[in-house]
Amino acid sequence: MTQDLVSVTIDGVTLQVPKGTSIIEAAKQAGVLVPHYCYHPALPSPAVCRMCLVEVEKAPKLMPACVTTVVEGQVVHTDSAEARRARTAVLEFLLINHPLDCPICDQAGECELQDYVFQEGRGGSRYGDYAKRYNPVEEFGPDVLYVPNRCILCTRCVRFMEDVAGSPVLNVSERGDRAYIGIDPGQLLDHPWAGNVVDLCPVGSLISRDFLHKARAWELDKTASVCSGCSQGCNTMIDTRDNTVVRLRPRPNLEVNRHFMCDHGRMHYRWMNRGDRIEAPLVREGERHHATDWDHALQRLGALLGSARRVVLLASGAASVESLGLLRRATRKATVTAAVQIPMAEDPDQPLAGVPNLALRRERAPNGAGARLLGYTAGWDEALNAAAAAEVVVLLDVALTEAEARQVGATAHLILMGTHEGQVLGSAELVLPVTNTAEEGGCFVNRDARVQRYQQARQAPGMARPAWWVAAGAGGGDAATAAEAFDLVARDVAALAGLRHADLGLTGRIAGAAAPAGAGA
Amino acid sequence: MSGTATPGAVHHQPYRPVFVGEGRTALEALFPHYPTRQACLLPALWLVQEARGWIAPEAIGEVATVLGLTPAYVRGVVTFYTMYHTHPVGRHFIQVCTTTPCSICGAEEVVRALLQHTGCGELGATSPDGRFTVIEVECLGACGFATPLLIDDDFIEGVTPERVAGILQGYK
Repeated sequence: MTQDLVSVTIDGVTLQVPKGTSIIEAAKQAGVLVPHYCYHPALPSPAVCRMCLVEVEKAPKLMPACVTTVVEGQVVHTDSAEARRARTAVLEFLLINHPLDCPICDQAGECELQDYVFQEGRGGSRYGDYAKRYNPVEEFGPDVLYVPNRCILCTRCVRFMEDVAGSPVLNVSERGDRAYIGIDPGQLLDHPWAGNVVDLCPVGSLISRDFLHKARAWELDKTASVCSGCSQGCNTMIDTRDNTVVRLRPRPNLEVNRHFMCDHGRMHYRWMNRGDRIEAPLVREGERHHATDWDHALQRLGALLGSARRVVLLASGAASVESLGLLRRATRKATVTAAVQIPMAEDPDQPLAGVPNLALRRERAPNGAGARLLGYTAGWDEALNAAAAAEVVVLLDVALTEAEARQVGATAHLILMGTHEGQVLGSAELVLPVTNTAEEGGCFVNRDARVQRYQQARQAPGMARPAWWVAAGAGGGDAATAAEAFDLVARDVAALAGLRHADLGLTGRIAGAAAPAGAGA
Repeated sequence: MSGTATPGAVHHQPYRPVFVGEGRTALEALFPHYPTRQACLLPALWLVQEARGWIAPEAIGEVATVLGLTPAYVRGVVTFYTMYHTHPVGRHFIQVCTTTPCSICGAEEVVRALLQHTGCGELGATSPDGRFTVIEVECLGACGFATPLLIDDDFIEGVTPERVAGILQGYK
């Protein structure tokens, strides 16, 4: 390995990086961010923006850091007077035509042009007497708007559609100061992964219609999460404003989704904000449900689960490993038929061509693999049929048809753990409000057996609690946090052996792979 | 957003493919001269412009198909180069130099005479009889022989307003 390393010095920091690394990537390792626009780690570099010019000792002129590879003994200065002067000049060129409409621009606050101009741009313009180029806003696709005035022609969107999505509908039309991003006439930017161009755009030129004018970037709280749209398990960032989820964005994970997520996943957040929630535990007395407190509800639940001999568990494929696992533990004395509900799309997988093993999967639930690892392996119909003979049936956030509801309604004790009022069945003996994915911490196991953590992004409504907390309180075990719940579950399940919550990090670990050193001791 | 010239009369006839019969033969004759099909793009576009006078949106699709490229890419190239016409022009395309030296030597008067005698009325427009389109260009490289004209492929130097009518006679 060592023979492939070269030693470079960047802004006084000497480090060893693999041969072939670009200066811009080596600089990141040295803790230096070289300002850039056209470069993106997931796209080929055309070196067109000229923003990343750096001074390389013994080179006759400034070099673009994104396409210049490191060589042994190279000394790079990213912050020398000459490099700074070059960046200031590039920024001045970009601002000749870029409007100063930051106050009404969605990108403000997370705009690379705004940031770098603030850092190193000129205070005033030398082009005050000239009118700026003006072109009207275009609709590129169902969710993507193009504001050509703000475009700095970095071509990230063109390269994404061509090299990653494999659907080259965008181009650079015209040239010089008339140039703009063109779309093939008669075509739409409606590729299932097209929404990524909005994230890739370093300025506010490609914007999401869904997010348009919803929030300013600095008002958003950001929470690391995992997409619940399908079994791929793309890593996401949930952006909330005043406890309302307003946007999902991809969070880089080179092993799963690299820097991308699909439009289905991106739009899969409205249900997180729904208002018709069950807010208190309900017990049935006679024909009516009465609100009660958790102490009472957990006592009843514990008594039922602890004494039942035959139990049927019907769980949602979006329930966490912790919830599914502790529910199994709470019913460990009984004979359990456990099934997981997974919506299947009719369309085939919709892959992103340029990234191996990345697609919007037919299995539209995030934790189907996790549920199967935890023994939720009965067929759905099989489990529904078993409900008639069972003493206790537990529904965990499932969506039942009327016929299915009648089928489970015949059971002696029906327990419903639900998120919203539409799920409440009159025959349920106990109705327990549980949190949805955005309101709890937990783990999903994706289709490649990668166990990934997600974190709580918004406050739970009323008295709703994570399902694992409910199961723990009803005899599932002694767990006060999602971490403790996970470790409790992992101890019992062979496939999760050796995994500890603390080791999962933000990019997850493969279940069943060799345990990290020191784990499981 | 495209171009600065005013579109002339738009053709409404159904699109006739260029690369059939002789056109196809001419295209295939290009292939051995270039390493890739993509490299044939500029000459292929010239073939279209010679055959039709301009490059229609349908022609962009046809070129993309015969060269295995995408319409978006071809359109980017067509709009990048100013010598490809993205709208119909007259049978004879007149380019007149109005850059500094020619301007000093009276190019503005030549332009005025051209617009009057062709009947175009304004730069970039096509004459009502469909014969001429006149545009201004930057430097035709004949500063010592102001004012030069480029009519189709003919280069004419030392043009004065008086000579314009006579020159135009040669282009029916």
